[in-house]
Amino acid sequence: MIRTEHLTKRFGPLLAVEDLNLHVERGEVFGFLGPNGAGKTTTLRMLAALIAPTSGAAWINDRRVGQDDEAIHASIGLLTETPGLYPRLSAKENLSFFAKLHGVEDIPGQVRKYLTLLELWERRSEPVGGFSKGMQQKLAIARALLHEPPVLFLDEPTSALDPEAARLVRDFIETLKGEGRTIFLCTHNLEEADHLCDRVAVIKQRLIRVDAPDALRQDLYGRSVRVQLREVTPEILAAVRALPFVTAVTEASPGLRVALDEPETYNPVLIQALMTAGAAIQFVERESHSLEQVYLDLLHESEATA
Amino acid sequence: MNRKRLQAVIEKEWLDMRKNKMVLSMMALLPLLLVGMILGTVYFMERAPDSEYDPATGDSGMALPPELEALGYKEGTIILLNDQYMFYLLLIPLTLPVYVAAYSIIGEKETRSLEPLLATPVSTAELLVGKTISAAAPAIVLTWLSFVLTAVGLNFIASPTVLAYWVRPVWSLSMALQTPFLAVLSTASGVIASSRLNDPRAAQQVTGLFIVPLIALSLIVLMGKVYLNLRLMSWATLLIAAVTVGVLWLAIRLFQRETILTRWK
Repeated sequence: MIRTEHLTKRFGPLLAVEDLNLHVERGEVFGFLGPNGAGKTTTLRMLAALIAPTSGAAWINDRRVGQDDEAIHASIGLLTETPGLYPRLSAKENLSFFAKLHGVEDIPGQVRKYLTLLELWERRSEPVGGFSKGMQQKLAIARALLHEPPVLFLDEPTSALDPEAARLVRDFIETLKGEGRTIFLCTHNLEEADHLCDRVAVIKQRLIRVDAPDALRQDLYGRSVRVQLREVTPEILAAVRALPFVTAVTEASPGLRVALDEPETYNPVLIQALMTAGAAIQFVERESHSLEQVYLDLLHESEATA
Repeated sequence: MNRKRLQAVIEKEWLDMRKNKMVLSMMALLPLLLVGMILGTVYFMERAPDSEYDPATGDSGMALPPELEALGYKEGTIILLNDQYMFYLLLIPLTLPVYVAAYSIIGEKETRSLEPLLATPVSTAELLVGKTISAAAPAIVLTWLSFVLTAVGLNFIASPTVLAYWVRPVWSLSMALQTPFLAVLSTASGVIASSRLNDPRAAQQVTGLFIVPLIALSLIVLMGKVYLNLRLMSWATLLIAAVTVGVLWLAIRLFQRETILTRWK
C-alpha cells in the first residue's frame, strides 16, 4: 500500500531524510516515531506527494509519487498537526469545499455522515473559528475522510488536544483501523503508538528500526518475569541459576528479575524451584518495558553506533 | 484544468470574502468614494459662473491643452479634471485585488490550511487561477460599475459634451483592456508579497510601486503637457500587459507546492 525505496530528501546542505526503505501493508496502522527534526513530517509530505524526493522513490497504492500525484491525492486523507480550517466558514461549508475538490458525488450525504459520526452535526452552521481545539481537530478528521480514502496520513493528531479530546480522536482512529484503512501515524505520543500501531518505525534521518512494538521489546530486552520475594538468599539464587531455561538472573530488590524464553511454559517450573529453595513468594509478574523505553534505547544505540 | 475544482476554489474565496467584513468594507469604500468625489466635483463646477474658469479673470483658471481649447474654459477644465479622475478609477483594479489576494493567501498561511488544501487533487494552477479570478473579478466589476455609474450621473448633472468626453474611445478602451491587466498585476503582486510577508497590510504596500507611475502620468495630464489619445493609451496598455506578464510569471514561479510548504513562513 505504501512503499519507499532509498527515499532521500535534502534541503540545500541539510539532509532531512536519508535512504528510507519502508513497506506498509494494506489495513496496517503504522507508527512513525522520531525526535523533532528527525524527518517525520518531511517523509509524510513526500508520501502525500506534496514535496518531491531528492532521490529514491515512493509508491502509494502502486502509484509513484511525482508521476501520478493527482491520483495519489484522490486516494489519501491528510490530517496535519494543526487543523488548518477556514475560521469564518461553518463546519458544513469547510467540509463541502473539500468534498468538491475531491469530486465527492453525494456531498450533503458525506458531510452529514462524518459530522454526525464526530458529534458535530448540531453545530454544523457555526463558524469553526469559535470551535474548541478538540472540535476543530475532529472536523479536520472528518475532512480527511470525506472522500473515503484507503490511506490516511495523520501527523500528530492528538498533540494539541486535552486528554478527553485526545481519547476521542484515538477511539476514532481505532474505529478506522477496524474499517481496514491503512494509517500512517506520525506521533510523539508513544503510549498512543503502542496502543494503536501494528508496527512502528523509529527514524532519525535514517531508519533505525521497524517492527511490531512487542517484537522490538523482545528483541531489545528478551522476555522476563519479576518475582517479588520476602528475602533473597544465596540458596535461592543458586537454585534459579541452575534452571536450564533461565538465560539471566539479576537481583531486583526485594526479589529477582529472571530472563527466560518461554515464560508461559517455564514459569510453573520456576515457581516450584523457588518454593523448594525456601523462597517466600509475594508476587510474580511479567516484566514490561514501555515503548518509550524501547524508543529511547533505540535512539541511544543509534547515536552510539553513529 | 478541472472546471469544477476551479469553481469550488472561486466559490470558497467569495464565500470567505463575504464573511470578512474588513475586506468587504475595503472593497466597497474606494469605488463609492471615487464616484461620489467625481460627481460632487462636476456638480459644483457645472454650477459655478463661467468667468471663474477664465485664466484672465477667474481664480480657478487652468492652462488647457490645445485639443480642449475650442470647448471653452469651463467645459475644458471639467474634462481635464475628469481625465485626472479616470486615472483614479484605475486605482481600483490596482489596489483592491492585492488586498483580497494578500488576505486570501496570507489567511491560508495563518490558518495553516494550505497543506491540507494542497493534499487534495486541486492543481497548483487551479488554485492560483481560482485565487486570481476571485481577487481580480470583483475589482474589475467594481471599476466598470464605477465608470458606468459615473457616466449615468454625468448624464444628469453635466453637459452632453462632458459626458461624451467621459465615454470617449480612449477611456472606454482603457477601462475595457487596462482594468483586467491591472487587476491581474495587482493579484500577482499580492501572491509574490504573500510569499515573503505575513501581514496583508504590508503586502498591500507592494502595489505602491505601481501606483507611483500612474499618479505621475495623471499629473502630467493635469498640467496639460500631454493629451491622452488612442495611440498613447495603446502603448500604455502594451506596457501594462508586459509588466503584468512578467509579474505573473514570477508569481507562478513562487506559487509552487514545495516552495509554499517549505519556504513560506
